[in-house]
Amino acid sequence: MSTTPNRPSPSNWLKWFDPRQREIGTWAFILNRITALGLTLYLFLHLIILSQLAGGEEAYQGFLDLIRNPIFVFGEWLVIIAGLIHGLNGLRIGLTSFGIAIPYQKQFFYILMAIAVAGGLYFAVRMFAV
Amino acid sequence: MTNQWTLNLLVYRLKGNGAPHYDSFKIKANPDEYVLDLVERIWAFEDRTLTFAHACHHSTCGACGMRINGVEKLTCITPVHTVAKDGATVKVEPLRNFPVISDLAVDMGSLFRRMEQVGHRPVLELADEPAEPGIMRSQKAEDREIIRLADCIECGLCISACPIATTTPEYLGPAVLAGAQQSGIQNNRKLLALIDSQNGAWRCHSAFECTAVCPSNVEPAWRIMDLRMQVMSERIKNWFRSGK
Amino acid sequence: MLETVSTPKKGETTWLWLLKIITGALIFIILGIHFVVNHTLGTVEGGLLSYQDVVAYYQNPIIPIMEIAFLIFVVSHSLIGLRSIFLDLNPSPRALSTVNWLFSAVGIVSVVYGIWLVMTIVSRGS
Repeated sequence: MSTTPNRPSPSNWLKWFDPRQREIGTWAFILNRITALGLTLYLFLHLIILSQLAGGEEAYQGFLDLIRNPIFVFGEWLVIIAGLIHGLNGLRIGLTSFGIAIPYQKQFFYILMAIAVAGGLYFAVRMFAV
Repeated sequence: MTNQWTLNLLVYRLKGNGAPHYDSFKIKANPDEYVLDLVERIWAFEDRTLTFAHACHHSTCGACGMRINGVEKLTCITPVHTVAKDGATVKVEPLRNFPVISDLAVDMGSLFRRMEQVGHRPVLELADEPAEPGIMRSQKAEDREIIRLADCIECGLCISACPIATTTPEYLGPAVLAGAQQSGIQNNRKLLALIDSQNGAWRCHSAFECTAVCPSNVEPAWRIMDLRMQVMSERIKNWFRSGK
Repeated sequence: MLETVSTPKKGETTWLWLLKIITGALIFIILGIHFVVNHTLGTVEGGLLSYQDVVAYYQNPIIPIMEIAFLIFVVSHSLIGLRSIFLDLNPSPRALSTVNWLFSAVGIVSVVYGIWLVMTIVSRGS
């Protein structure tokens, strides 16, 4: 079967993440999708690691020591900023789906992302400034 | 006296079983004329094998949608100076998410069939098409006598811009969902099943790209949101009615 | 072959979507509480909870209930969301059915595991 170019197909999924020549809405779509995947990964890692609690005080102390490693701290900061972006954009999606703020949804998105960035900066200072 | 720019048009070409490629055309352009005029001039004087769709040349038929420098445009109303400067290269490509028939012409049959399936009315009473989200044009009884053409010209730009339409041909797409919103699902159970399904209103992820490229004030995105509220209202009412 | 007119396929429907939105809203609230508690109210440097802090925290009956509810909301939201992404790829009915089973299993196992873990911690306090 000859493949006609421009046909919609699941193999085009990489195009989801291509923001070139698109508007800000595509950025919202991309950010929401990437943070969703990242947060899901974090969720299941978090659930598994917490089993250390069941191992008792020493096992958990080992976990507390591990997460002091700067790599982990950076990872946690990524989770925080992902949570902020995903949650705040989700707020826009939820509200617009109920007919609220539709004419201002673009400005709303900018404001929400500004809050997310502010949150990210705040936590960066708290977590990385010695 | 007319300003004459020199532009380099990079036009997408695809014939039969050949490989897609770009042909380069250097042409003179008046900054106030429209991109469609340039494409037509290339066809007339440079390459008679260039295939493209066009008809009315005044944004009513929806035939001349293309991507100019990657962005969806209705080329008959896109002035050259909005997409280029003197000496610039302008990329001209067909719409995304529709199979290419030849060069710049794509097969929009699925769009037309689906618009019919959801009962989109091309002509309707003035009171039936909102002016803006939530704002009806007229509540007056006498305005029932006034009819207008629907905003949607079925040009397909919104479907080209939609990220979900890129990965699934079955997604109804913004134009069709907007058409269903106009049609209204209150009295149409078949439409409810179609919209409240895998390929219906819940497939949208609120990118609002459709509204960004629509040349005709349809604003498909808010219509999809309104359609969602219609669906939710129907489902909740049904749940109370039949205890399902 | 040219596209045929779509026939309705059951997939994401109103109720699943409502669940996604509602769990999303609830997560907003409960995550705030969960985050504040786990990062400011502890005795470990930086506000983290030590093992003893965690056990003590879970003795208040509201907490296991809240945390288990939180787990259910987050796992549901995450899996329904992942399923949405999968639906964007136009899966066949069989592929979708497989994913439905898989995600349901993962969801149930996660919640059961979480409840077990919570109950284990609660019991450490007596």
